[in-house]
Amino acid sequence: MNRITTNVGKVLPALVFGVAFLGFWEWAVKFFELKPYFLTAPSSIWEQFTGNFSLIRGAATVSGTNALVGLVAGTVLGVAMSFVLSRFGFLNQLITPLAIALNAIPIFVLVAVLNNMYSITSEIPRRIMVTLVVYFIVLVNVARGLTQVSPTHVELMRSYAASDVAILRKVRIPNAVPFLFTALKIAAPAAVITAFVSEYFGGSQNGLGSRISSNIANSKNAAAWAYVLAACLLGLLFYTVSVVMENLNRKGGVRQ
Amino acid sequence: MTNVVRRAAQRTVMFVAALALVAVVWETYKAVGPEDGGTVLGVRILPRTSEYAMPHVWDMFSRFSRPEVRGSERTVLDAVTAGAWYSFRLSVAGFALGALVGVALAVLMARFKVVQRGVLPYLVVSQTVPLIALAPLVVSWGGRVEIGAFVWPRWLSASVLGAFLAFFPIAVGTLRGLAAAPAASVELMQSYAASWTKTLFKLRFPTAVPYMVPAFRLGASASVIGVVVAEISTGLKGGIGRLIIEYAREATGDPAKVYTAIFGAAALGLVMAGAVVAVDVIVMRNRPKEAVS
Amino acid sequence: MTAVSIRNVSKVFNQGKPNQVDALSNVALEVKQGEFVSLIGPSGCGKSTLLRLVANLLEPTSGEVVVNGKSAAQARLDQDYGMAFQQAGLFDWRTVRKNIELPLELKGWDKSKRSARADEMLQLVQLPEFGDHYPWQLSGGMQQRIAIARALAAHPPLLLMDEPFGALDEMTREYMQGELLRICAATGTTVVFVTHSIPEAVYLSNRVVVMSPRPGRITKVVDVSLGGERSEDTRNRTAFFEAITAVREGLRGMHAAHVGLGNDDR
Repeated sequence: MNRITTNVGKVLPALVFGVAFLGFWEWAVKFFELKPYFLTAPSSIWEQFTGNFSLIRGAATVSGTNALVGLVAGTVLGVAMSFVLSRFGFLNQLITPLAIALNAIPIFVLVAVLNNMYSITSEIPRRIMVTLVVYFIVLVNVARGLTQVSPTHVELMRSYAASDVAILRKVRIPNAVPFLFTALKIAAPAAVITAFVSEYFGGSQNGLGSRISSNIANSKNAAAWAYVLAACLLGLLFYTVSVVMENLNRKGGVRQ
Repeated sequence: MTNVVRRAAQRTVMFVAALALVAVVWETYKAVGPEDGGTVLGVRILPRTSEYAMPHVWDMFSRFSRPEVRGSERTVLDAVTAGAWYSFRLSVAGFALGALVGVALAVLMARFKVVQRGVLPYLVVSQTVPLIALAPLVVSWGGRVEIGAFVWPRWLSASVLGAFLAFFPIAVGTLRGLAAAPAASVELMQSYAASWTKTLFKLRFPTAVPYMVPAFRLGASASVIGVVVAEISTGLKGGIGRLIIEYAREATGDPAKVYTAIFGAAALGLVMAGAVVAVDVIVMRNRPKEAVS
Repeated sequence: MTAVSIRNVSKVFNQGKPNQVDALSNVALEVKQGEFVSLIGPSGCGKSTLLRLVANLLEPTSGEVVVNGKSAAQARLDQDYGMAFQQAGLFDWRTVRKNIELPLELKGWDKSKRSARADEMLQLVQLPEFGDHYPWQLSGGMQQRIAIARALAAHPPLLLMDEPFGALDEMTREYMQGELLRICAATGTTVVFVTHSIPEAVYLSNRVVVMSPRPGRITKVVDVSLGGERSEDTRNRTAFFEAITAVREGLRGMHAAHVGLGNDDR
């Protein structure tokens, strides 16, 4: 009984705050007679969301697929490259400053040129953009996991006259697995955001981002908010899946 | 101090070397790749290598010095610098606003556990969600929202969006830092019968600084992203985002120009990041060199 | 003159819940002005809890603590004591000098007074050249000396110390013990000192208070009759070993009683 009350006590303030926030929003729009182009009431947003659900789902699928393809491709390439990096340590010197600098740059602007390299209806530029973003996140983290192993473990393996490959398999890779999941937790939302933002640069107009812009342009703000909600849910979905995957891995008894 | 400078110089050299490598790969592909793009395993994934799709690297740089528009006095360098400077100022404004609100909220959360429990989960979750989706909405307020005599200028939307994106990592990171004061030091302040405010300024804030720096770094780049996206989604006049879109549209006739604008955006991001790093070095100069994850 | 009076104090954590802990049960102790008293005992005997009750960082469940003739709470507000912990706990972002000035800042002293007092304390702990250094540039022993300087900066009549030398190596530790006694003799401060080390307790104290756990209480008080002066020789004197034996027996007796062995254990 005690544990239940403590857990409820922990979650309650957040729930209360969330409900209060939505309630206040709804009330403020009605009371201050806020124009729809400024703020739309949560009730109208929900109405639009449920009303247009099939359209919304379609757009979300397009954006989501772009994010997913890029996420998978970026992860595969990132992991592959991290092996290369761990083997040839000096490459680290080259890649790390690049990765740090790229973190600071709004890299998605490259979509502008990517769009020119492919046909106008192709989703490839967006997928490449997501791949690029995910690639660096995964590369930096997994490379760290492969190289930052406990020196004691390596010494132990050497005392067994183990080959480099054996050390890789038995020490470095298990060490790197949690780093991979950490990377995914960062990369999954980043993939959705990148897929999203890429749509503002023109090209195919089937994704969530384009729909938001077009709805605003047509003064259909409530509908636009509904697409925003969908985008948030999509991002949340990706993040939740990555967290679940991490937890599944932990339960497999690898570590902690 | 010289050690830090030496490492920074080394990193910069490596960064330039990495860029040079990318340029080499670019030119190599351009030389050997298919003119009209190609397929790999049936997927049309290889980009076109024609002059229009992939200009030479040196053309990109030379483009800076030539006039922006045929017949105009203004060079591309001038235009890109002006655009980047405009966006930079918006980013700084956004970052400042976001930092102010973020730190204030963090202090509030540190003081009142109830506020922390109510708000923090949303702050954490918000970082996984594409808040950037709100960009077109916020930008649409431009010119239409009036508060008394104040008419919302369009550029303010860009800064507000930047502030909005920056505020989350800053709030979360600052709170972590404020909570990181060691228990013994908190007890020490209690033994001095020091008030919560005194403890905040003499103990918690100084302890929080190493945590605030990476949070501020994230906030700075988030602010740049917010501003650039806002500019792009509406073509806000004067900013680098609009230049990118404009030049991209002219790419069929003038392929190298869009790259100049991209370099400008990159420079913008680097300068913002550099500013935060500079502040970091100054503020932490007397501290022991430990890393905070 | 009683510096600290602990009257029938009990402290219970998590009262009524399944993880209730009887940290202290009916503890009584009187510490005279200028005395050096050590609290020693195994983990969980409540010695650190008792120290924190004196410091008013915790409130007793029952009983009262009187410090310097006032309630412990008032004594804390009046800053009648200084405290030192196992981790020196100096602030990394302040110079050594500014660390010492911290309690004085909080008391609202003006700059020149603070500076003068900081210089005085640096002299006292024999580290005058290190005023403008940063804590991480100093060794562990030196950091502890600065922590002691900070604790005594406002010239409090009472010093509370929670295993301050625990993190130091043996040689530094013995040196610090000598330094602490020298400083306290110079200032006439009353000291309540928590430690794990029997030789340390005996060397430093007028009295050693032996405590035992479950529930935390005082089982024995050993009068250390080594006289006022300590020297290099003190650790070789018979009285020193006798006192150590007395303390050890006090600790072991309770341990044996717990484990169910006779006095000839091991």
